[in-house]
Amino acid sequence: MIGSKSFHVAGNSHAANSSSQFGVRIMYLVEIVVGNKPQAKDPEGQTIMKDLMHKSGYDCVRDVRTGKLLKVQIEANSEEEAKQKAFDMCNDLRIYNPVAHYCKIEIRGKT
Amino acid sequence: MKLAEVEVTLTKDEVKYARKYLRREPNTLEWAMIDAEWSEHCSYKSSKPYLKLLPTKGKRVILGPGYDSGVVDIGRGYVATVHVESHNHPSAIDPYGGAATGIGGVVRDILCMGTRPIAFLDSLRFGLINESPHSTWLFKNVVRGIADYGNCIGVPTVAGEVEFDESFEKNCLVDVIALGIGKKGDIVLARACQPGDSVILVGGSTGRDGIHGVTFASRVLTDKSEDDRSAVQIPDPFTKKLIMEATLEATSTGHVHGLKDLGGGGLTCGLSEMADKGNTGIEMSITKVHLRETGLTSTEIMISESQERMVFIVGDAHEREICDIFEKYEVPYRKIGKVIKERCIVVREREEELARLPTRFLANAPIIWRRMKRPKKQVSRKREPPENLSDILLKLLASPNIASKEWVYRQYDHEVGGRTVVKPGQGDAAVMRLPNGKFAAIKADGNARRCHIDPYAGAASCVAEACRNVVAVGAEPIAMLDHCQFGDPNNPEVFWMFVQTMKGISDACKKFNLPCIGGKVSFYNEDTETRTAIKPTPVIVVVGIIEKEKHITTSGFKEGDAVVVVGNTKRDLGGSEYYRLIKGFDKSPPSIDLRTEKRTLNTVLESTRRGYVRSCHDVSNGGLVVALAEMCMIGDVGASIDLRRLQNAKLEDDEFLFSESNSRFVVSTKKEEDLLKVFSRHRIPATKVGEVKGNRLEITTRNKHVSCTLEDMKQAYCKSIESLVE
Amino acid sequence: MKIAVIQFPGSNCDLDTLHVLRDVVRVDTDLVWHKDFRGQNYDAAILPGGFSYGDHLRAGIIAAYSPAMASIKKMADENKPILGICNGFQILVESSLLPGALLRNSCLKFVCKWTTLKVETESSAFTQLYKKGQNIRMPIAHNEGRYFVEEETLEELRRNDQVILRYVGENPNGAIDDIAGICNKERNIVGLMPHPERASEIILGSNDGKRMFESMLNWHK
Repeated sequence: MIGSKSFHVAGNSHAANSSSQFGVRIMYLVEIVVGNKPQAKDPEGQTIMKDLMHKSGYDCVRDVRTGKLLKVQIEANSEEEAKQKAFDMCNDLRIYNPVAHYCKIEIRGKT
Repeated sequence: MKLAEVEVTLTKDEVKYARKYLRREPNTLEWAMIDAEWSEHCSYKSSKPYLKLLPTKGKRVILGPGYDSGVVDIGRGYVATVHVESHNHPSAIDPYGGAATGIGGVVRDILCMGTRPIAFLDSLRFGLINESPHSTWLFKNVVRGIADYGNCIGVPTVAGEVEFDESFEKNCLVDVIALGIGKKGDIVLARACQPGDSVILVGGSTGRDGIHGVTFASRVLTDKSEDDRSAVQIPDPFTKKLIMEATLEATSTGHVHGLKDLGGGGLTCGLSEMADKGNTGIEMSITKVHLRETGLTSTEIMISESQERMVFIVGDAHEREICDIFEKYEVPYRKIGKVIKERCIVVREREEELARLPTRFLANAPIIWRRMKRPKKQVSRKREPPENLSDILLKLLASPNIASKEWVYRQYDHEVGGRTVVKPGQGDAAVMRLPNGKFAAIKADGNARRCHIDPYAGAASCVAEACRNVVAVGAEPIAMLDHCQFGDPNNPEVFWMFVQTMKGISDACKKFNLPCIGGKVSFYNEDTETRTAIKPTPVIVVVGIIEKEKHITTSGFKEGDAVVVVGNTKRDLGGSEYYRLIKGFDKSPPSIDLRTEKRTLNTVLESTRRGYVRSCHDVSNGGLVVALAEMCMIGDVGASIDLRRLQNAKLEDDEFLFSESNSRFVVSTKKEEDLLKVFSRHRIPATKVGEVKGNRLEITTRNKHVSCTLEDMKQAYCKSIESLVE
Repeated sequence: MKIAVIQFPGSNCDLDTLHVLRDVVRVDTDLVWHKDFRGQNYDAAILPGGFSYGDHLRAGIIAAYSPAMASIKKMADENKPILGICNGFQILVESSLLPGALLRNSCLKFVCKWTTLKVETESSAFTQLYKKGQNIRMPIAHNEGRYFVEEETLEELRRNDQVILRYVGENPNGAIDDIAGICNKERNIVGLMPHPERASEIILGSNDGKRMFESMLNWHK
């Protein structure tokens, strides 16, 4: 899922693609989020909502779910390659356990 | 409703039986309820006839198997509860969550008796971590799961064991044991006796997680198992802690009539078992159950295994008082029904009746008589004994099954509660301080390799070893639990091993006068692809009582003591760690003489009570030489040992040193004459073999000499596991 | 003297601490549920170890917002002794009653072991009865015990003699400057990661911790 709001990516994507044609590797900023599957309980999220937010007066909060964020700089020839590398790592290295977690990968820009 | 439309794991015979008994066709919900309750995990339909072999009565036994936890009288108005739980299948695919929720499950069974959990033990089995990254991953995460959960709820994990063997590569075993303490008068049973009483569901909300958990546990693991995501539950120890305190406060009022935790099979199993035990029925409303998500079907609600839920049976008059306690701890609760006279479980949705099943029928699955067949005999394979036995000792000390498990227990808070007197690494069993001035010792032992060679003798040896460990710290064994784990019961060879195991355990317990107060049987620990079952793995838990503080004995050598070896060493290399190391194989079963074992246990206990014993260690994995090495390392001192007088002429040096014969101890003493007299009086062999001194372990046998420095031994023993996993 | 041991949802060393105060040190002590706590009824308060609110979000942060902490703050202003043990230390730090932060152990694992500590100062409500420079033994059991504070604040702590305990020999969690426990400028609030209540009876390993509670009784005098 491509979800970057940075105008840099939109502005430079053409340039990025053309330089990658010549094999120049770019550092992509990839965000990996690991969280409990939607149908699973999120006890930490519930406690933060009920015992911290609601009790402190923020009863406008309907739900809180927690996750772990990894900000990874990946060297690659293209966004797709960077995403694929991130995806492969998540699976091979068991950064998330597909049995209990979901894993969301987004490109947040590049340097 | 056509049966084909409903996904069940029932056999053709069970389906026929159900239709015949009810004289009608059950609907979808009812089939699902029957399926859950009649799963192997909940109903013990294959094992019940053999579990009957176990002795369950004793002067201290208040409650034997069949309830949530066994209960024993420990004197002065106090009782102890013990329970064992396993989460083998969930841990194989989500080791962190599976192990953590295993702790959650075992603690509920202690709580719902009205007792406070005061200690956990873990008994874990994995494939070879020195060869398999997968097993290493499982091991690390299982330990982390147990640590996070146990530490968070504030119950110390005080002892345990870890065994590594190829047969556990695809099917790890995660067993957790809990010990609880309470006053006799506060005990609550898991039954609904009074029609009219309110049925209150307390704790976590009900969701889709854990659906088909028991049927999952009652099938072998396949490729598709990773997709069985609904069978995995997310651990929530914080909620558990609140429920724990709320439950204990509620039960101390004396107004809780019945209490049960919801585990395998969810509401279906919980309610039917409570009603069956109380000879009543329960009528409940599905709309009253507090749900975590919308759109759950009635079937899903009745079989969901969402964690952290308990059912309280409370008399009308005291409902408000009990519910106020739940309010204090902010634990969700709902009255979902009431106890009725008619012996049925009735599930309603507003005005509509969705299911009606007789409790006797539901809670008592028909027994399945399985075929058994004795497996082919295995073949022995002899090996040339190695030259350098000092080198072998160091290798054994570093081998994962023997090496120090400090890497594991450092992650467990073993001090919380202020009761842990003998801590991990100090003695053969954990020793906990009790509110009645006495002390409890508890240990869990298993040995898959020996049991594979001979399930009968192997199982009896496990009982003996657990008793030895408890006696070694100065306690008298008073009760045991067994957890028996096997492959697919449809395989006649597996089932034969199960039956032999039950016979071995029963015979040992009867001889030792040790009642069985609970236990579990877990089948289907088998991998479909390779059709490899785990080796038969009975895990035996023994609880003992120490009357006086001065009887408490640890296993570290003390400078200046005389070293005495108790018992006879025979050629018992079958399943030994030594043969595993040198890749030999001996098909002979471990020798076990139950009468001698019992006399030995009693004599060691007598010597301890008379004050003749300064340190004590049982001899098991790795044999005599490893036992001596361990006592040196724990005491941080060397020893000079001459075993020539003791060595049987028929045994080679290596066979003698590394044999794993039963009925043996190493004891150190300052009163050797008195000590030897006691053993002589009871006709138990005991020989002084040397002295505690220096900083080397020196052992002389007929033709060999073993010599290792403390430094070298510690390097091998203490760093091994850490270097394999980190 | 009347002491309060505050119970938060998830505290689990509360009963241990109560036992030591009542049965070993023998001082009048109440176990008080956090919602019911009224500081004016007590001369000192102890925030015990455990996992308040499951350590969710960050250890001690949710308990820091408990109404009980307003009472604790008032008691602190009145120079009453306040002791935060392990999770209690985390709560004091998250409540800004003590400076710094307690981060995940460097080894990234929970660590339960006995440690040797050096008493760095006698002038605090909880170390009065020790001798400066004395070594004592107490167990630790935590996952987030790595004390951290910025360089400037660390200088201030050193200058003001606010470091009360340091790990000796091995630093089990990577705490900056080997800091195991600190006190506030007024010296009546103390926070430490090791558990003195687990080291108050010889049968459990040592009674070096007992003096910490006894010191508190003397502060009152």
